[in-house]
Amino acid sequence: MTGPVLLETRKLSNHFGSICTARDLDLSFEEGVLTSIIGPNGAGKSTLINLVTGHLPVQAGRVTFRGRDVTRLPVHQRVRLGICRSFQIVNVFPQLTVLQNVLIPTLARLGRTRRAFARVSAETQARQEAEAVLERVGLSAERDLAAAALSHGDKHLLEVGVALAARPTLLFLDEPTAGMNPLERSRLLESIRKLAAEGRTTFVVVEHDMDVVFSLSERVVVLHRGELLCDGSPERVRGDARVREVYLGEEVADLPGGSQPGKGP
Amino acid sequence: MQSIVHVVLAGLSAGMFIWLVASGLTLIFGVLGVLNFAHGSFYMLGAYVSFTLVKVLAPHFYLALLFGPLAVCLAGLVVERFFLRPVYRLELPYQLLLTFAFVLIFDNVVKLVWGGGALAPPAGLGPLRGSVSILGRNFPVYSLFVIAVGPLVALALWAVLERTWIGRIVRAASSDREMASALGVRVPALFTGVFVFGTWLGGVGGALAVPYVGLLTPGMGESIIIEAFIVAVIGGLGSLKGAFVGALVIGILSAFGTRFFPTFDMFLTFILMAAVLLVRPRGLFGAAR
Amino acid sequence: MGKKVSTAAWLLVAVALCLVPHVADRFVTYLSMRVMMLGIFALGYNLLLGRTGLLSFGHGAFYAAGAYGLGLFSLHVSPHPLLGIAVGVAAAALVALAVGFLSVRSSEVYFSMLTLAFGMMVFALVWNLREVTGGDDGLIGIARAPIRLGPARIPIAREGQYYYLVLSLFALAVWVAARVRASPFGLVLAGIRENPTRTEFAGIPVRSYRLAVFVLSGMFAGLSGALEVLLESGARPSMAHWTHSAEPILVSLLGGLHTLTGPLVGSLLFVAMREIIMRFTENWMLAFGVVLLVIILGFRGGVVGSLAEAMRRRQAARRAP
Repeated sequence: MTGPVLLETRKLSNHFGSICTARDLDLSFEEGVLTSIIGPNGAGKSTLINLVTGHLPVQAGRVTFRGRDVTRLPVHQRVRLGICRSFQIVNVFPQLTVLQNVLIPTLARLGRTRRAFARVSAETQARQEAEAVLERVGLSAERDLAAAALSHGDKHLLEVGVALAARPTLLFLDEPTAGMNPLERSRLLESIRKLAAEGRTTFVVVEHDMDVVFSLSERVVVLHRGELLCDGSPERVRGDARVREVYLGEEVADLPGGSQPGKGP
Repeated sequence: MQSIVHVVLAGLSAGMFIWLVASGLTLIFGVLGVLNFAHGSFYMLGAYVSFTLVKVLAPHFYLALLFGPLAVCLAGLVVERFFLRPVYRLELPYQLLLTFAFVLIFDNVVKLVWGGGALAPPAGLGPLRGSVSILGRNFPVYSLFVIAVGPLVALALWAVLERTWIGRIVRAASSDREMASALGVRVPALFTGVFVFGTWLGGVGGALAVPYVGLLTPGMGESIIIEAFIVAVIGGLGSLKGAFVGALVIGILSAFGTRFFPTFDMFLTFILMAAVLLVRPRGLFGAAR
Repeated sequence: MGKKVSTAAWLLVAVALCLVPHVADRFVTYLSMRVMMLGIFALGYNLLLGRTGLLSFGHGAFYAAGAYGLGLFSLHVSPHPLLGIAVGVAAAALVALAVGFLSVRSSEVYFSMLTLAFGMMVFALVWNLREVTGGDDGLIGIARAPIRLGPARIPIAREGQYYYLVLSLFALAVWVAARVRASPFGLVLAGIRENPTRTEFAGIPVRSYRLAVFVLSGMFAGLSGALEVLLESGARPSMAHWTHSAEPILVSLLGGLHTLTGPLVGSLLFVAMREIIMRFTENWMLAFGVVLLVIILGFRGGVVGSLAEAMRRRQAARRAP
């Protein structure tokens, strides 16, 4: 199921000193299509996310969201438009409780953060929505624990939860399952699958784990040294000679048959 | 024309003192990541200690110039090794506050030992006394000496940092501390060394200031650190080139201010700082952090 | 502490404060007012430091803006105390807005440098504009005129009477600080302290929020300055000097950052310590520096923080078999 184009990049390029981290990237992300971005280390996956979300200033090229040029828009305004991300290295509010972590983006979305005399304890709508997010990622029981006290896997769940709480239209997850054990990983993937099916958020996931990539996504984007190598359905990518070469054929060839019904271009 | 040349020369010589303080400040910030609020106090200590040594070692001014800064960098050694080192692992505000605590301590130790009033150094110190006629007006020879010292220090710093192995280690440690440590550099010792060297530079500035300023006051530390901060903002914190250029600019601007706009001379520098902040927040030569 | 215990403690303190002019001598009444005014200064400062982690060395400038704002208003327009205080707070807010705008866009280190520099600029300004501010003599002869509210005239000329005005405004300041801390705005500020990047990605314009809390903390400083002028009948340029800006920092650290009561406890300790040390030596600043050093090296939680930590450890020890 494809929908309207949400985000487009046109000739997006960046370099860090003499290293080219992004070269003439032309990509578009459509609503409802769960996309994976893969590539060897240093391929520029995180750079791409940083550029489209505003974390890194764009040196050349354009980024448009729903037709609107957002290339120079500051981070918080892009979030308001509906572009959000999670971080590869857990980046939450360590001394705040799990609930508070999720409350902050929720309150921001509801426009309640300017209130200096209201009580957080009285913000019922925000609390309800925050609790709902925690339930979706499976952290309801840990609601009053400090984020720093969570287990590693739970911290990653919180990481995704904080990003989800902003109810983004387009959510970039940067290696969300890094360092998780298989049980935690499957729990998170199940959540992502359910949320993607709900239709409110379109997920773009950067991943290294090929199982995740090929079982979850409808579309795969392959980056290599900052350039777009291949872009299409999982089957097409798996069969692409250049992709096999880059990955030395092994991981890609060993994959299960895949049950994705979605056919990308 | 004559006035302008003299004002520029006066500004250059004043700027050199600021450069000496700012250079140490920049080195310490660049390598250790610490903004040493107490750097102006080291300058002041350099001046006061040298002043006392001058009186004790009477005709040998240059001995005082040698030993004064050494005494100051001893103080720097104690500060870094025993007080600053334990707080590196803490958040930034605590390191700033620690150096700030030393401002309070040093400023008031000076008041305790030398009294709170102003001290007048004896006139005509060393062989560089007297003045020379420039464009029909007299200009002190000592000030010309100071104007020459500044660029020499800049050149020496550049040479050491760019061309020697120790300079390479310092530059490596300042851009990536962990990597340098992994490569076998003894980072704590390096930090102490850089801090001590930086305070030595400040102390040299203070010692050189003794024949230059009319009076030594306990407030000289605080006024020069503010000027050094303004220089750091304008030139870019962490950039020696920026510190040198900034110091010259501030020196000349202040001199023009004192000569032509007496009431508002200090505001010229503040206005320049505000302007740089608005237009180019990282300073003229600063790195985008 | 349980909710009941802390409410009881607050009530006790409130009652004690109300009784001071009646049971204590003039000097203690005077000192209590100084403690409350310093408490207001530190409360506001702690909103900035404790909640956003920004270390300002220039808050004396806002204190002075409040002081001179009230002083000049009182001398040239009207001696009405409440109007004067309002003018002082507004002046402080304006100066804080200007300084904050230029400073909060920078990183932590630059921020500290800039606030120091701007603070000293205000000091130099006040010192130099002799005709307006009285230079290093400061403003003198500012009267504590009665408060006119409609037909009523509330006298505050005597210290025992002025005390209640200070107490009311102190209570107001504490209430405001408490409400801000418990509000969504306060939660966002805590987020900014912990992780500004993530807060940005939650959709918050971090810079604007930093500026807002900076101005708020400046207003607290201005209120404190205005109250001091009315107490001492004068304003001095040293109010804008960085050594004065250092006071709320030390007070916050002494009492404990991150808590509401920390700055208040710290103010009490600070004033008490200063009075005791002044009896032995004039060089109070030296002791100040040493105390600061000791706290940073060992007692960063401050008094309130250390007590809380000690209690937590005792509870944990009791629970263990």
